[in-house]
Amino acid sequence: MKRTMMMLGFACALLFAATAAFAHTPVCSCFDNGDGTVTCEGGFSDGSSASGVRMMVKDGSGKVLIEGKMSGNSDFEFKKPAGDYMVVFDAGEGHVIEIKGADIVQ
Amino acid sequence: MKRLLMAVALALFVASPALAHFQMIYTPEIAMSEGKELDLKLVFTHPFEAGHTMDMAPVKEFYVVSQRGEEGKPQKTDLMSYLKKITWTSLTNSGAAYEAKLPKKVVRSMGDYVFVLVPGPYLEKEEGIYIQQITKVVANVGGMPGNWAEPVGLPTEIVPLDKPYANWTGGVFRGVVLSNGKPVPNADLEVEFMNHPPEAGKNSFQKEGITEAPHDSFVTMGIKTNANGEFTVGIPHAGWWGICALGSGPDKEANGKELSQDAVIWFKAVDMKK
Repeated sequence: MKRTMMMLGFACALLFAATAAFAHTPVCSCFDNGDGTVTCEGGFSDGSSASGVRMMVKDGSGKVLIEGKMSGNSDFEFKKPAGDYMVVFDAGEGHVIEIKGADIVQ
Repeated sequence: MKRLLMAVALALFVASPALAHFQMIYTPEIAMSEGKELDLKLVFTHPFEAGHTMDMAPVKEFYVVSQRGEEGKPQKTDLMSYLKKITWTSLTNSGAAYEAKLPKKVVRSMGDYVFVLVPGPYLEKEEGIYIQQITKVVANVGGMPGNWAEPVGLPTEIVPLDKPYANWTGGVFRGVVLSNGKPVPNADLEVEFMNHPPEAGKNSFQKEGITEAPHDSFVTMGIKTNANGEFTVGIPHAGWWGICALGSGPDKEANGKELSQDAVIWFKAVDMKK
């Protein structure tokens, strides 16, 4: 019985976690500033800020080139790498967005 | 009130359909995944029937208030310099209108974009009154909300209670009518479906209508705000819907004649499908 209750509790915790995840979806969008830099803006679909969210820029092989955080204004600017790259907006499990460098245009 | 009476009188004596004037700010897509160039058409017309299109009076103000995130700062961008005169062709005539081709730099960041048009008063000769329709359209980039539910601070405006760019067919759209920032109870609203959407890339309406009205009262639907100045409309079809609060504004006179200072907002609905 105790085990069943624990299972139920676990299921509830999962349910709540899932609900929270769906309640706000992360959003992130990047554009090429045309001067050798790229700006990414982030946030959540409920309008809340992404300030402090971990940002990474990786090269084609997945190696981290640049690492930083979303500013107080929920944006992140970096120098555009020479080759293939990918931007990772990492707000925790289930809240990760990856944007390919090729999709980032002016 | 005079406008309503005139409309009724016209309907009774001439048995012509009761036509409602609607100032349009039109662009095909307002829910955008990312920022892009926008082509806006400003047309003063009768949208359900794509009928008589009026010569717009010179524009007084045209700007966008954008905001990224609820904690973001609203940013006002003047758009007057992008306005260009065009001739708009309706199903029955053509009229003087405007277009504004906005570069991507204006609509690039994520967030809400509240477009505001304050046209000069238009003299409706048949009714002997001026009409000024202060019009709003709200667009979004990237799904990050901002100021869609914030009043702009206009003399009169419709403030949405539902995102105007995120509506499924079959849902409802709600809003509040404000005059000098205060809700207007029992306000007369006109609701029209854009039955002949503009043809892509052309300054004209499509000839084919999406639907047919079984009765004049379906062309321009009349509803009222409740005691709190709020309204709800159902959304039976995908496309563009316009809502106009008649004479809700504080200004009642222009150039010595009666003025109907109206508030207009447009919203768009899409079908649920794969």
